Amino acid sequence: MEIGAEAIVQNKTPKRAAVTAGADRPGRRPTSGRFRRLNVLVGVLSIPLFVILWELISRSGIVNMVLFPPPTVVAAAVLEWMRSGQFFWDVAASLYRVSAGFLLGSALGVLLGILTGQFPVVSSLLSPLFQILRPIPPIAFVPIVILWFGLSEAGKLFLVVWGVFFTVWLSTHIGVQKVDRGLIRAALMLGTPRRQMLQEIILLGALPYIVVGLRTAVSISFYTLVAAELAGTFAGVVYRIEIAQQNLQTGQVMGGLAALGLISFIADRLFAALAERTVWWR
Amino acid sequence: MSGYRSTTKLALASSQPSVKAASKQPAIQVSNLSIVFDTNRGQMIAVDRVSFDVAAGEFVCIVGPSGCGKSTVLNTIAGLELPFEGEILVEGSPVGNPRPDIGMVFQQPHLFPWKSVRRNIAHGPRMLGRSAKEACAIADDLIAMIGLKRFADAYPNTLSGGMQQRVAIARALANEPRVLLMDEPFGALDAQTRAVMQDNLLELRDRIKATIVFVTHDIDEAIVLADRVLIMSAGPGRILREVAVNLPRPRSSAILIEPTYLALKRDCLEVIRAEGLRAFNQSDSS
Ligand SMILES: Nc1ncnc2c1ncn2[C@@H]1O[C@H](COP(=O)(O)OP(=O)(O)OP(=O)(O)O)[C@@H](O)[C@H]1O
Ligand SMILES: [Mg+2]
Repeated sequence: MEIGAEAIVQNKTPKRAAVTAGADRPGRRPTSGRFRRLNVLVGVLSIPLFVILWELISRSGIVNMVLFPPPTVVAAAVLEWMRSGQFFWDVAASLYRVSAGFLLGSALGVLLGILTGQFPVVSSLLSPLFQILRPIPPIAFVPIVILWFGLSEAGKLFLVVWGVFFTVWLSTHIGVQKVDRGLIRAALMLGTPRRQMLQEIILLGALPYIVVGLRTAVSISFYTLVAAELAGTFAGVVYRIEIAQQNLQTGQVMGGLAALGLISFIADRLFAALAERTVWWR
Repeated sequence: MSGYRSTTKLALASSQPSVKAASKQPAIQVSNLSIVFDTNRGQMIAVDRVSFDVAAGEFVCIVGPSGCGKSTVLNTIAGLELPFEGEILVEGSPVGNPRPDIGMVFQQPHLFPWKSVRRNIAHGPRMLGRSAKEACAIADDLIAMIGLKRFADAYPNTLSGGMQQRVAIARALANEPRVLLMDEPFGALDAQTRAVMQDNLLELRDRIKATIVFVTHDIDEAIVLADRVLIMSAGPGRILREVAVNLPRPRSSAILIEPTYLALKRDCLEVIRAEGLRAFNQSDSS
C-alpha cells in the first residue's frame, strides 16, 4: 500500500513527462497522426462492436439465451426497472450507503491518520491493532455484522465504513509522516507556532497522499456495498441483482451490473476531477 | 585533544576579529559550543568547543569540508538544535527555540509548494500577526527586490532552482531578521547562476543591514562575500583560523584577480590543505 500510494502520487506529478516521452521517439512522428486517428476510431467502435457481437452470439443459438440474454433484452429489462420506479429507490439506497459510509469512514480515517502520524504514542497504541485488522477482507465481517446489526442500515454502514477507514487511515498516516521535515523547519524559522503547524504545513503536506487514499476508498466503498447488500436488505442495486438472479431474470441481473459499473465509474471520475482541484498546486 | 585546542586559541589570538565587537555588543556570541549526536555506533562529537563572535552588521562566512559540522553550528544558532555544551547568545539573549529575529535560508529552498511566491514570502509576517494586506505589501516589496515580479503568483514547482532560492531568501527577509543564517544557499546552483546570486545577495545586504552568517565550502564564494572567513576543520568541527577580508566594497567579480584577493585565497587554501592532509593521515592510521 505504501509503495502503491507513492507510485500514484508520483504518477500525478510530472504532467510534462508524457510530452517528453513522446518526443523521445522522433522516428514515429511522421505516422503518429495517422496512428492516433486510427486509435480514436478503434476506441469509439470498441463498445458498439462488443455489443453487436454479443447480440449476434446470443441470438445465434450457440448459447442458452436465458442465461446469456442479448443486449436488447438487457436494455428492455433496465427500461422496465426504471418504469416500475424501483430503479430510483434502488440507486438512491445504494448511493446513500456508499456515500454515508465513505464520508464517515474517511473522516475517521483522516482524523486517526493525523493522530497516529503526528503523535508516536498514539501510533504505538493504535497502529498494531489497525495493522492486524486491516488485512481482513471486509466481506468476511458480513456474518458477524448480521449477528450484531441484523438487517438494519447500521450494519450496511458499518461494513462500508470498515472498508473505507483502513485505506484512508493508512494513507493519511503515511502522508503525515512523509511531510518534508525541511518545510517544518522553514516554517518554524518563520515564526509558525508549533500548535499551528498542523493546519499550516502538515495537513497540506499530507494532502496528496490523503487524496490518493480517498480515491482508492471510493472503489473500496463499492466493493463493500456489494457485501453489505448481499447480507440482506430491502432495496439497492445489488439487492435487485440478487432478486433477479433468484427469479432467473438474467437480463435484469446484467442490467444491474451495468448500472453498478456506471455509477461507480461516474463516482471515480467525479472524484478524480475533485482531487485534481484539491491538490491545486500541482 | 589539547593539541588542537591550542591551535584554536592561537588562531583566535592571531586575528583581530573583535575590534568592532568590543565597542558594541556582538550580534552573535558562540562560546565553547560542543554538539554530540547519539548514533548507533555510540556518541559522535560533531562540533568540538567552537567559539566565535559576529559583530552587528558583519558578514561572516564559514568554510569547511563536508560533514565538519557547519550546518550543525548554524542550526544551533537558529535554535533548531540544542547545544550539548556551551552557550549561544543572539542579540544578547540565549537561543532555545527558533526566533523570528533570526532568519534562515537552507541549502534546499524548502518553499511551501502549495503557496504562490507572494504567499510564501508573506507567510512569516502573517505568522507574526500582520494582516493579510500588510503581509502582501511586504511580500511585493521583496518580490520587486529579487526581480521576480512576473512570478508573484506562480507556484514554486514552476520556478528554476535559482529563482526558488531567491524566493527563499526573500521569505527569510520578510520578518526583517536582525540575523540571517544561510546554509550553502547556492550550493545546488550552477556557476553562472551562483555568481549572479552572490551579486544579488551583496546588493540586498546593503539594503537590509542584517548580520549574516553564511556557510559554504567554496573558498572563492566566501572571500567575495565576507568581511571575515572562519575556516573549520574536518569533523569533529572546530575553528582552525579566522581570516579578515579587507577588500573594498562594493565588490564585483573583478576582485577575483586582484593580488590582495589572491594572497587571501592562498592563505586559506594552505590552512585547508594542511587540515586535509592531517585528516587523511588520521583516518589512514585509525
Ligand atoms: N541528526 C543527526 N544525527 C546524527 N548525526 C548527525 C545528525 N546531523 C548531523 N550529524 C553528523 O554530524 C556531522 C556534521 O554534520 P553537518 O550536517 O553539520 O555537516 P556539514 O558541515 O554541514 O556538511 P555539508 O557540507 O555536507 O553540508 C556529520 O558527520 C553528520 O553525519
Ligand atoms: Mg551542511
